[in-house]
Formats: sequence, structure tokens, C-alpha cells
Amino acid sequence: MKKASPTLTPPVNSRKKAKQRFIKKNWAFYAMVIPAVLLFATFHTFPALQGIYYSFTNWNGISLEYDFVGFKNYLHLFKDKVVKDSYIFTFSFAIMATVLVNAISLVVAIGLNAKIKGRNFFRAIYFLPNILGVLIVGFIFNFFFTNILPTIGERLDIQFLMVNILGSEKYAWMGILLVVVWQACAFNIILYLAGLQTVPGELYEAAGLDGANYWQQFWKITFPMIAPFFTINMVLSMKNFLMVFDQIVAMTAGGPGHSTTSISLLIYKGGFQGGEFAFQSANAVIYFLLIMFVSIFQLKILQKREVDM
Amino acid sequence: MKKMILLLAAGVLSVVLFAGCSNGNTSSSKSDEVKIEFFQYKSEAIPTFAKLIAKFEEENPTIKVEQVSPPEAEVVLKTRVMKSDIPDIIGIGANNNFKELSKAGVYKDMTNDENLDNVQPAYLQMLKDVTGLEEIYAVPYAANAVGVIYNKAIFKELGLEVPTTWDEFIAVAEKVKESGKIPFYFTFKDAWTTLPAFNVLAANTQGDDFYDELNKGNVLVGTRYKEAAEKFVKLLDYGHKNQQGVAYNDGNTAFANGESAMYLQGIWAIPEIKKANPAIDLGVFPYPLTNTPGESNVVSGIDLLLSIGASSKHPEEAQKFIEFLLKEENITMYIQEQNAFPTLKGISQEEPSLEGLKESFAKGALVDFPDHYIPVGVTADQSLQILAQNKDVAAFLDTMQKDWEKVEDRK
Repeated sequence: MKKASPTLTPPVNSRKKAKQRFIKKNWAFYAMVIPAVLLFATFHTFPALQGIYYSFTNWNGISLEYDFVGFKNYLHLFKDKVVKDSYIFTFSFAIMATVLVNAISLVVAIGLNAKIKGRNFFRAIYFLPNILGVLIVGFIFNFFFTNILPTIGERLDIQFLMVNILGSEKYAWMGILLVVVWQACAFNIILYLAGLQTVPGELYEAAGLDGANYWQQFWKITFPMIAPFFTINMVLSMKNFLMVFDQIVAMTAGGPGHSTTSISLLIYKGGFQGGEFAFQSANAVIYFLLIMFVSIFQLKILQKREVDM
Repeated sequence: MKKMILLLAAGVLSVVLFAGCSNGNTSSSKSDEVKIEFFQYKSEAIPTFAKLIAKFEEENPTIKVEQVSPPEAEVVLKTRVMKSDIPDIIGIGANNNFKELSKAGVYKDMTNDENLDNVQPAYLQMLKDVTGLEEIYAVPYAANAVGVIYNKAIFKELGLEVPTTWDEFIAVAEKVKESGKIPFYFTFKDAWTTLPAFNVLAANTQGDDFYDELNKGNVLVGTRYKEAAEKFVKLLDYGHKNQQGVAYNDGNTAFANGESAMYLQGIWAIPEIKKANPAIDLGVFPYPLTNTPGESNVVSGIDLLLSIGASSKHPEEAQKFIEFLLKEENITMYIQEQNAFPTLKGISQEEPSLEGLKESFAKGALVDFPDHYIPVGVTADQSLQILAQNKDVAAFLDTMQKDWEKVEDRK
């Protein structure tokens, strides 16, 4: 090859032209991408930076002047029992919900993936909770726990059901967990279902010939094959449950006492109603760092596992 | 498809029509027309104010008043203040938010306003106590009160008299309980519903120098709330099984349907109760907290006050509107429709169901809501919710003291 093809190594003077052509050809793509970036920066990044700024002040949210207080808010954060309790509640809640949602979704998805009668009907039923508004579902269940369940308990003479569990300091979290898990399963089932459909049928046939039972097939074939879906489901659900807010607002408003106050609810209540804007901004910064750390940690561990399998 | 287009066309047409209407209005009116915004936080008072505004606009054709009363009004107001978008006239209660907004310089100083001369001095003092400032930034407009709401029919049926001492009060509750009915219908799923009763208990037992000490920086809840907390726990014995699990609205309905003999709420609940059962025969009596009749004060706070935004472009028009609202006939209409108590001298609430509180108002045996002085960050309502559940007075006092000090400390 004596003559270099112009398309492979363009001469220097035509490089600029090529670049222009490149931009011209791709302007449509830039037009698609840039507005979203600008919107994101204006309505998300900029307020987030403002929040970090305020976390170093003593602004109460309305006064016209405020001072810089350095790390004072952060120091108080670590001393506050209400804040500590909200972190314990949120993390135990998120871990429980993540485990439950993923276990239930996987089982249901396997069922929905099998050749059963009325499969599409069942799929529709299980997906339904996902299209309902979170707040609406919260209010409906609030009514259910307050009015319907105690009546049933009364009829059947079951002590535990006679009073509204949402009013109990010890058990209110169960009510919220139930509703959150029920609604969150819908989306995770869909993801697992998509994952299960990527597993080739021949693998099961071969395993069946080798005499593997269903349990072995699940652990040796199904589970490793859907590992990426498991990863994404774990990360997404953990993140979502750490940010739990709407259901709690609708059902208990964080009560009784602070027993179901999640971190995001505490930030909202303390910041906007309690007049501690700067203090709760500091809380939000810590919360943001924690969620980021947890998500990265999960991704690292689970992706490593995907490779190992 | 055709139908869709028709519908769309009809929609567009009607929008154009309406736009035409409003255009016509503005162009035909005088050029010196002034528009002022009246922001108030009582959604239940919207219809009453709408009537008053219509009357005002008729008398003052050059002034247009726009009433704004969004849900979560105080949070909305705060965010608007953050943006320096302050309404011309602001009506909220005399609470911690009012204190913060006064200190932030949001309101026009009204200390020398002549209208304040007609206000009962107790309420002016309350304003000063709440804000901790010498200046007065609002005209108190209406007051509320907390008493024991009772079902007269049940009292009659059981042969009970209105109690005048604490022992009688407990004896009445005991008798109701023995008869198989519920003495007090508590609704603690909504944390704030612990406050009306506790406010009365605390206001009468915390000691006269409580606020003075507070202004000096001494928080005394840990010791001074002891009697109130103990009496509160005593009242809990006469509740019902599911009192942690039902909310304010459930309570109004239950009391309206005669499920309980008494209801520990503010008088603001009465219109709601009557909505659920218009035929109910109810009354209100002051909490008897000691064994000397007539010794206990009624808790009454400023439910609505009117102030002018410091940055208002039309302070004269705003002032005119406030003066209009303060006219006797208008304030009478407001207190009747809203079941409130007047803050002005010489006007009285004649509603028969409130008869029982009249005497206390006449002799001025009133104290403000203690929770108006508790910083919101202390979340007293949520601590009370736990007290109602665990009945652990010592733990409650400890939490209150620590939370209050904590909030003061990180200001």
C-alpha cells in the first residue's frame, strides 16, 4: 500500500474541515443532550451547591441576615439523638426492605416466567402497584390500617389487629414496610422478568439431562445468569429505600414520636417547618455522602461477584 | 378525530372568551386601580373573607383585594419571604413563625397605630410575649380557646353536672367510664392533638415566672412541666382502646356521633363536629385544674392577626382594608361564622355552645398557649405522643429539657 487512503489518515489541513463536518453532523445530538444538562445544573446542581453553602451558616430559613459558623452544624449533628435515631431507622428500614423486595420479586418473577395459564393477567396484576401514585397508596393504606383492619380484628377477636398499628411506637414501621415492599416489588419483578428471559432454554435442558434438580438449576444457572439484574435491583432499591419519604408522610408523618422519622423526612420537617434550615442542610450533605458511598460500595461488591460467577 | 378537534376548538374559544372578559374589565376600570394581596393561613375562613372582600371592594371600587390561602400556608409564606416576595397584608397566628418573621423585619411596625387602642390589653401583651419585642407588628383580629367540649345529651342521660374542681372532673370521667361510654375521645395519631389539653395543663401549672426565666435563657421545662405531665397521664386513663391509632378527623366524627362524653380539643373543632352531626347538643366548660372553683385560667391565643408587609407598595390601601375588617359589623360577622372569640373591646361572642367560656373571657382569666413559646424544633407534640403511649413522666421531662436546650444551643 503506497497510497495512504485519505479517509484513514487525513492530511493536516483537512482535519479542521473534518472536525467541522463532525460538529455539523452531530449538532442534532448536542441539541438533544445540552438542554437536559442545563436544566439539571440549574435545578439540581446549583441548589445542591447552595445547600452545601448554607450548611456552614446559621440561617434559619427566613431571617435577612446570617453568619458563618464553620462546622458547628456538623458537630451538633453528631450529638443529636433525633438525628441518630433517624439514621438507625432509615438504614434498618432500607436493609429490610431491600432484602424483602428482592427475595419476593425474584420468586414472583420466576413464577411469572413459567408457562402457566393466565400469565399475562398475573403479570398485569403484579405490575399494577407501580402505576399508582405513592402518596395515594399511602393514604389508602392509612385508611385501611385506621378503619378497616381494626374492624376485622374486632370481628375475629384478634387482639393485635384491634388497634391501628400505625399508632404504635413499636410496630408502626411494620405497616410502612408492608406498603413500601408491596409497591416496590412491581418494578423489581419486571426487571427480574426481563433478566430471566435472557437465560437460554438449552442450559436448562442440558442441566436436566445431567440430572440437576430444580434447586441446583436455580443456584447454578438462573442466579448467575441474571447477576447483572440482581446488581441493579439491589442498588436501585437500596437507594430508593434510603430516601423513603412519601409513604411515611401519608401514613404516620414520622410518628409516633420520632419512631418512623426517616432522614429525608427529618430534613424536610426540621428545615422548612422547624426553622433549622442550615442545620438540616448539613444533615442533607452527610446524607448525600452516605447514599453515594453505599451505592458505590454495593456496585463494587456486586460487580465483582458478577465477574466471579 | 373530528370530535377531538371540535373539543379543542371549543376549549380555545372559551379561553379566548374569558381572556376577553378580564381584558374588558381592566380596560374599563380607572387607571388608578390598586391591587393588594391578602395572604391568610386559615383555609376554613376563605368563604367568610371572600364575602368581606366583596363588601370592601363595593365600598372602595378603586381597590382590588386578592385573597391567597394556600395549603401549608406558613411554609409557603416562609419560602416567599426567602424570595423577598412579601404579600401586602399577612394574616397568621401569634406563634413561633410570627416571632421569626417579626424579627426578620418582614412586617411594618404598628406600635403607634390607633386601632390598637380598641384591642383588649391581654392580647397586646401576648403579642409582645410571643415575639419578645417591644414593638407591635400586627393587630390581633380573632382569638381561639381551649376548653372541654362536652355532649350535653350524654351528661343529662348520666345525670352529670359540669365539674368545677379537678376531683369533680375526674369523678365525672370515672362515672362516664363506668357507664360503658368513653369519657375522652383522644386522637393521638395526629401528634398535635396532644397539645390542646397539655397546653391548658402547662399554662396553669408552669409558674408565673416561666417566660421571664425563659427570656433570661433559663429553660425550666424539666421541672415545671412535671405537674402538667402527671395530670395529662391521669387523663389518659379515661381514653379509649385505639386512641393512638385514630386521627383528628376521626375524633370529630366519633364525638359528633356521641361515642364519647367529652372531647379535649380547641373550639375550632366545633364547626367540624357540627358538620358531621348538625343536631348535636354540645357545650364547652373551662378545665378545672385545681380544687378551688374558678381558679384555673382558660387558654386562649391569637388565632388570626393582621399585619402589613414592610415592603408593601400600597401600605395605605392595606391599612384601609385592615380598618374595614376591624369595623364592628365585620368583625362580628367573622367571629360568628368562624366560631372565634373577638380580640376587640366591647364585642362579645354570643354563640350558645360557647356560653361556658364567656365568664372567663369577661373577667380576663386568660393565658396564652404555652406551645407558642416552644421552638418548633423541640417537637413537643411528638414527645407528648410518646408520653401518651409510655406514660413515663420522667423520660418525657428529660427529653423536653434536653431537646429544648439542644435547639437553643445550635441557633
